[in-house]
Amino acid sequence: MITGTHKTRALIVMTTLSLCFTALGGRLVQLHVLRHEELSGQAAANRGLVIKRQGRRGEVRDCNGNLLANSQSVRIVCADPSITAAHAGATAAKLSPLLNMDAAALQTRLNGPGKYVRLKQKVDEETAQQIRALKLKGVFFEDQYLRTYPQGSLASHVVGFVDADHKGVQGIEAAMEQYLAGVAGYEVIERDRKGREIRALRAEGIEPRDGYHVVLTMDQVIQHIAETELEKAMGEFRPRAGLIIVSRPKTGEILAMSNRPTFDPNNAGRATADARRNRCISDVAEPGSTFKIVNIAGALNDSTIRLSDVFHCENGAFLYGGRILHDAHPYGPLTVEQILFKSSNIGAAKIALKMGTPRLYEYIRRFGFGRKTGIGLPGEVSGIVHAPNHWTKLSITRIPMGHEIAVTPIQMLMAMNAIANGGKLMKPLIIKRVVDADGRAVVEPPPQQVGQPISPAATALMTTALRRVPMPDGTAPKAAVDGFDAAGKTGTAQKIENGQYVRKYYSSFVGYLPSPDPEISILVSLDDPSGGTYYGGSVAGPVFRRVAEKIVEYLGISPQQPLTHSRQVASAR
Amino acid sequence: MGTVSRCVLACVCVAIVGVAYVWQKNQIYRLGDDLKKREAIVSAAEKRNTMLAAQLAQLQSPGLLEARCRQYGLGLVAPREQQIVRLPEPGPEWDVRLLVPVTSPAPAPAPSAKKSATRTVARR
Repeated sequence: MITGTHKTRALIVMTTLSLCFTALGGRLVQLHVLRHEELSGQAAANRGLVIKRQGRRGEVRDCNGNLLANSQSVRIVCADPSITAAHAGATAAKLSPLLNMDAAALQTRLNGPGKYVRLKQKVDEETAQQIRALKLKGVFFEDQYLRTYPQGSLASHVVGFVDADHKGVQGIEAAMEQYLAGVAGYEVIERDRKGREIRALRAEGIEPRDGYHVVLTMDQVIQHIAETELEKAMGEFRPRAGLIIVSRPKTGEILAMSNRPTFDPNNAGRATADARRNRCISDVAEPGSTFKIVNIAGALNDSTIRLSDVFHCENGAFLYGGRILHDAHPYGPLTVEQILFKSSNIGAAKIALKMGTPRLYEYIRRFGFGRKTGIGLPGEVSGIVHAPNHWTKLSITRIPMGHEIAVTPIQMLMAMNAIANGGKLMKPLIIKRVVDADGRAVVEPPPQQVGQPISPAATALMTTALRRVPMPDGTAPKAAVDGFDAAGKTGTAQKIENGQYVRKYYSSFVGYLPSPDPEISILVSLDDPSGGTYYGGSVAGPVFRRVAEKIVEYLGISPQQPLTHSRQVASAR
Repeated sequence: MGTVSRCVLACVCVAIVGVAYVWQKNQIYRLGDDLKKREAIVSAAEKRNTMLAAQLAQLQSPGLLEARCRQYGLGLVAPREQQIVRLPEPGPEWDVRLLVPVTSPAPAPAPSAKKSATRTVARR
């Protein structure tokens, strides 16, 4: 029987329950309706995460696909000191041998303030796996890309290097940054309570795009030949610096570009700025007698002279403009051909006088001096070519012998290439193509002719004369390449220090072979060689020969004449 | 069919739909986990590939190969000039001779040096 007491109790219970449910409902309304925005944001922040994904930087390869630079994924070992502090000693003891770090120093960092500390960068995947297996609380990893240069210092001045942010600083790395750098992407993910991604709830994202790969015109074997021979020359003549450039005259492709001193791009920070400089494009110097090719080629092109014309070389002392111009050896009458292969300064000056200032200046510009070649590497300079209104009376006699003018080695090689290539001045080409991950070409710059300074007929005459340079009566018999007709020109330029000519020299040789249909051209230049000899023919000439002999063997270029016994023996070695 | 039976059938249907839904959700999560694992494997393989590519490039570098040849005295050198036989590349005139029937043998071909390029083969 239901009494009044029962009814009262039921009412109390019902009222209490109603109040409880009302309070609960009120709280729910507060959480889900009134504070919806705030709390749903918090929940999303706890669960969700936006992860930025960086595209892998593209590779740099040589013309045969050999790897010169790539990016490897490594790990950064990080810790949350708010978690690791409780057991810092034990964690440090376990990590120390794996990270090859001092345990005490590690412990200090694991005990530090804050919630994030980087313990070590550039940790390889294998070590990271070993650390992960230890299941250390508060220790976690971040991804990092490491730029590696497997060939070390080989072609380091061309390939360049990247900074800590993986951005190109020098060489191809800087010049091709827009292609090499990938495009970053992102992913919006949701995590479980342990912080692991719930793959099924991946909301949205954009895949990162890896950088394009850059294929160079350079050949790593030819580069190795150039570097090895340059290193030998550095040991033999102990110059302050040296460089070798190898190219294909017909296309302007650069096959090798080596500099000394050099550096390892894997440790670019440790190298001096002097060692990192690509002297082939960024150093200017008076070219010396190699520049004689410009005014003589110009005069032949204008038919101002013929190879058989004779100029009197004043027995080695020519008074002009109140100053005496000297030759290295006293010569009497010389034909134009002899002036070139004996490298007479007086003869070259007299030819220039016959040409006149405007034509000489015209040919200097036509051969590409005084402006950048457009090789596409950062740091290239234009050289120094003064306009004729700034020339002195002496200039017309000094410029033909490579004084009062400053050029880069790449400009000099391209000018010689024009003579080797029927008068076509080519733009130096260092990028063969840019390809995507599937190997499809994105960019493929073709060989580009940028001028025609002289006619094919004039280049044929020049080649006739230049072929005499590496002969016994020329200035560089040591540059003769057995089995081949090589053509070239020596240069011995006095250096200027503090505005004065000093007894220091740039010794150079620039030539091509096999003439008259050349496959390769080579420039060798040594800055201030020591050991008594400094003439281009004696110092740079032999280096040219050794480089040329190895390259023709490597490229399988058939000799034009049978080899002599000595070359066969040398080849056999 | 009675009311009770209809209710039971409806309950069974609801239960089946519920179980299917849960099973499907579970499968989606499992598939997600599976995908994640495979993504990790692919990523690890790619990382390993790049590392191995760099190692391979290092091992194939001419400087290292030269050093190894010297170190182990392998005697590996480029073929000497006298070990190379340069054969004329067959030109158009060779094609014509090849068409001549076997019954009337053609004289030994003598290709023009001007027209034919040369190719290089090494002999021992």
